[in-house]
Amino acid sequence: MRILRSFGLALCILAAGGVLSLVLPEYHLRLLNLSVVASIAVIGLNIAFGYVGLISLGHAAFVGLGAYIMAISTTRLGLSPWLAMPAAVAATAAFAVAIGLPLLRLKGHYLALATLGLNVSFVIVASNWLEMTGGTNGIAQIPSFSILHHAISDERSFLWLALVSLTLVVVVATLLHHSRYGRALISVRDDELAAEMTGIDTTRLKIMGFAFSAAYAAFAGCLFASHVRFISPEDFSYAHSINYLAMLIVGGEGTIVGAILGSVLLTFLPEWLRFLGNAYLALFGLLVFLVLVFLPTGIVGLRKFVRGPSRVDRSVQAAAEVRP
Amino acid sequence: MTILDARNISKRYGGLAALTDVDMTVSAGEFVAIIGPNGAGKSTLLNVFTGLVVPDSGAVLLAGNDVTRHATNRRIKAGLGRTFQHGRTFPRLTVLENVMVGAAICPTLGERALRESALQIIEQMGLADIADNAIRTLSYGHRRMVELARAVACNPKVLLLDEPAAGLNSAEVAQLVKRLAHLREKHQLAVVLIEHNMGMVMRLAERIVVLNFGSKIAEGAPAEIQANPAVLSAYLGEGYAHARV
Ligand SMILES: Nc1ncnc2c1ncn2[C@@H]1O[C@H](COP(=O)(O)OP(=O)(O)O)[C@@H](O)[C@H]1O
Ligand SMILES: [Mg+2]
Repeated sequence: MRILRSFGLALCILAAGGVLSLVLPEYHLRLLNLSVVASIAVIGLNIAFGYVGLISLGHAAFVGLGAYIMAISTTRLGLSPWLAMPAAVAATAAFAVAIGLPLLRLKGHYLALATLGLNVSFVIVASNWLEMTGGTNGIAQIPSFSILHHAISDERSFLWLALVSLTLVVVVATLLHHSRYGRALISVRDDELAAEMTGIDTTRLKIMGFAFSAAYAAFAGCLFASHVRFISPEDFSYAHSINYLAMLIVGGEGTIVGAILGSVLLTFLPEWLRFLGNAYLALFGLLVFLVLVFLPTGIVGLRKFVRGPSRVDRSVQAAAEVRP
Repeated sequence: MTILDARNISKRYGGLAALTDVDMTVSAGEFVAIIGPNGAGKSTLLNVFTGLVVPDSGAVLLAGNDVTRHATNRRIKAGLGRTFQHGRTFPRLTVLENVMVGAAICPTLGERALRESALQIIEQMGLADIADNAIRTLSYGHRRMVELARAVACNPKVLLLDEPAAGLNSAEVAQLVKRLAHLREKHQLAVVLIEHNMGMVMRLAERIVVLNFGSKIAEGAPAEIQANPAVLSAYLGEGYAHARV
């Protein structure tokens, strides 16, 4: 049932995107594309944070790692983006496993701080490993994806690529959510000891969740690289990690719909409020604060004001209750 | 046949001896109760069995294998099951999903088979009506039943229960006694029960282990324990031998 509903959601995404791609002006299409790519990264973050409860402030580093592997292997090695992308995703997931082994021994604030450190280190390496990354000059002329010699380079065709990717990602995340692995991931955040007491190897599972989350991030990174076609270290600074986390929390952590809503909202909001200049940050802070206080389940929590609380809402509220 | 065998278990917390040289065995299908005053070391002993606490000395053998240094999840896969003193469920999952997490210990079950086997246990535990409810909406008694169902779903050979009747009303306790008796019969599992409710202990236990200040002060059949002067003075109280349960 719920799985069917999520497939419905996937279809809605495609339909809504299709309509938007016809009516929106170029500039808004670009924003929409950025928000779809961000959604993919945030759905990944939802696996680590929303399900397993790993507070990661380094998600942008995985997005960046994916983007750089993609950029380097297409521009330097001349690999097709279609080959570079799976390689980048696999390599990033492998890196997440390697780094997760020591990192995930840490909990809560310590883990948050360590992942923040990881993100800072990533930017330092990307800025200084000149031969490989071009330093702060970045990497330009990253090729677009192309299908049958048609380059997916304009905003309108990229939107289709992005939406198909998002749909794919939503379907995979939904299947995961309702599988034994999804339940196990959620149980680890709810009560790690009790999860271990059902025979779950919680250490291994956390690493798996972390790697899965990083794979999503890398996928988003590859799409980002082929979309903007130029990347540099500041595209992946820790500020972006914090932004991903804000997107997830504002949208509604623990839910896929929330991850998408938050990403779209927080991509468009700064553009709409551009006239505020730096004052936007203050408003942004206020917004996150208001959501945390009045909508602890994020904007997906608004649903309960529309209809009576559904079963899903109740489990979402339960999620809010256990939020540390 | 001995399934669980703990030898010379000692554990200190700073200056406090939580367990001193405790021996305990459980045979297949046997029902053993652990009693003793608060702070006697009962929960700590379960923690040593399940690997949440590594003892300072001593060994834990499960079906003849030394598991003293094994991670908790390995011991669960090898046949231990446990509930906690204060009840621990997964609040973001439904009752059915909670039990399915337990049933997933069997790696070959597909999603449908998992659901079936979880539903069967839910039925046995009298939770069928609330299978799709969120944990948040349940009474404390129901939550503890869900936790028990989840432990049973892990298909244990030995089920370790830490004060399962604490906080339940008398009707719920009566039901719990019935369910435990039924579970044993159906799944042939051994049970280790920590419990202060002596009525429940006397009705279910075949053997009783008494802990006091971290040491085992007595062990034997319920009738022997009821008449043991050391147990009477340490735990049951002088008047107990005359007051029939
Ligand atoms: N993690 C711990 N740190 C320090 N002391 C502990 C810890 N766990 C238990 N203790 C102490 O060990 C003793 C035995 O505790 P416990 O096994 O919980 O007793 P019981 O379950 O019999 O009431 C108590 O005095 C308790 O305070
Ligand atoms: Mg105790």
